[in-house]
Amino acid sequence: MDDTGDRNTSVPELNTQLLRAAIKLNTWLLAGVFACVGGLTLFVMTYLSLYRGLPDPGQYLVLLSVFLPGYSVTNVGAWVGMFWGAVIGALLAVVFYRIYARSIAAQVISHTQRGGKERDLQSITLLLDGNYLGLAVGAVVALGLLVTTNWLVLRGTANESNNALLLANYLPGYDVSVMGSLIGALEVFSACYMLCLLFSFLYNSIVALRGK
Amino acid sequence: MAAFGRIDNVAFAVALATVSALVLFMVTAILLLKGPGPGNNVGPHLSMLGIYLPGYDVTWDGAAIGAAYIWIIGAITGYLLAVLWNLTHYLYITAIVVRAAWWRMMAE
Repeated sequence: MDDTGDRNTSVPELNTQLLRAAIKLNTWLLAGVFACVGGLTLFVMTYLSLYRGLPDPGQYLVLLSVFLPGYSVTNVGAWVGMFWGAVIGALLAVVFYRIYARSIAAQVISHTQRGGKERDLQSITLLLDGNYLGLAVGAVVALGLLVTTNWLVLRGTANESNNALLLANYLPGYDVSVMGSLIGALEVFSACYMLCLLFSFLYNSIVALRGK
Repeated sequence: MAAFGRIDNVAFAVALATVSALVLFMVTAILLLKGPGPGNNVGPHLSMLGIYLPGYDVTWDGAAIGAAYIWIIGAITGYLLAVLWNLTHYLYITAIVVRAAWWRMMAE
């Protein structure tokens, strides 16, 4: 903390430096967590499909090979899927956290203005900012829809993509085209934003109820 | 540092479980309200979730069963995510503190 400045001006200055390091750390850690979750999820789903004893195992899961080179619903494919799941999970986590982190500076300033001390900050419970969470999750999901849909358009299989077209049940106006992907991205962004507001409200309310 | 704040495991688990269950219930309900396509059952693709969630199908009962399954899966996933998040921070910060103490000791 700056010895010569008063508390109100020096606190944000100190936090800026620490925040940058904290956000960098959080980004790496979240990328690691999402990489584990993404990789393991695809790995487990592939093996579940393989060993459920169905006549045509993974007939839909195998469609992921359109987006994940080398993936198939086989023993080897499960490991390839784990790799891609981890890579995509990590990338999405980085995009997500870089957007969400924009809310953290305001939270730190708010905490210090309420009289919180830095040593208390190590034991406080994280509260979620629904607005930024919605922006971050909405952006990641909308980006995912844009990229996957336009990948289908670019590889020239838009007319055969009947499974992707099923999304139109939930996203009116969506189809496998550039315009359809933009409409779908906007709708899915709105849906995710609202769900994140609900999620944050529930989380923050339970934290308050538990007296943390 | 608020950026290092701990996630409340229980709150995160319950919130994720509730939102996940609501999403599955809603996507099932939307198909049920729209009704079957020409020559089709309702939601033939979504009902394949029954492979992973035994008892689930695109009916009102199935929606409730699926929501219950997803609530449990969401709660476990949320709890594990929160534990993993808190644990990685704890381990990383502990490593930094130990390393700083080590260098201070060596300097003295």
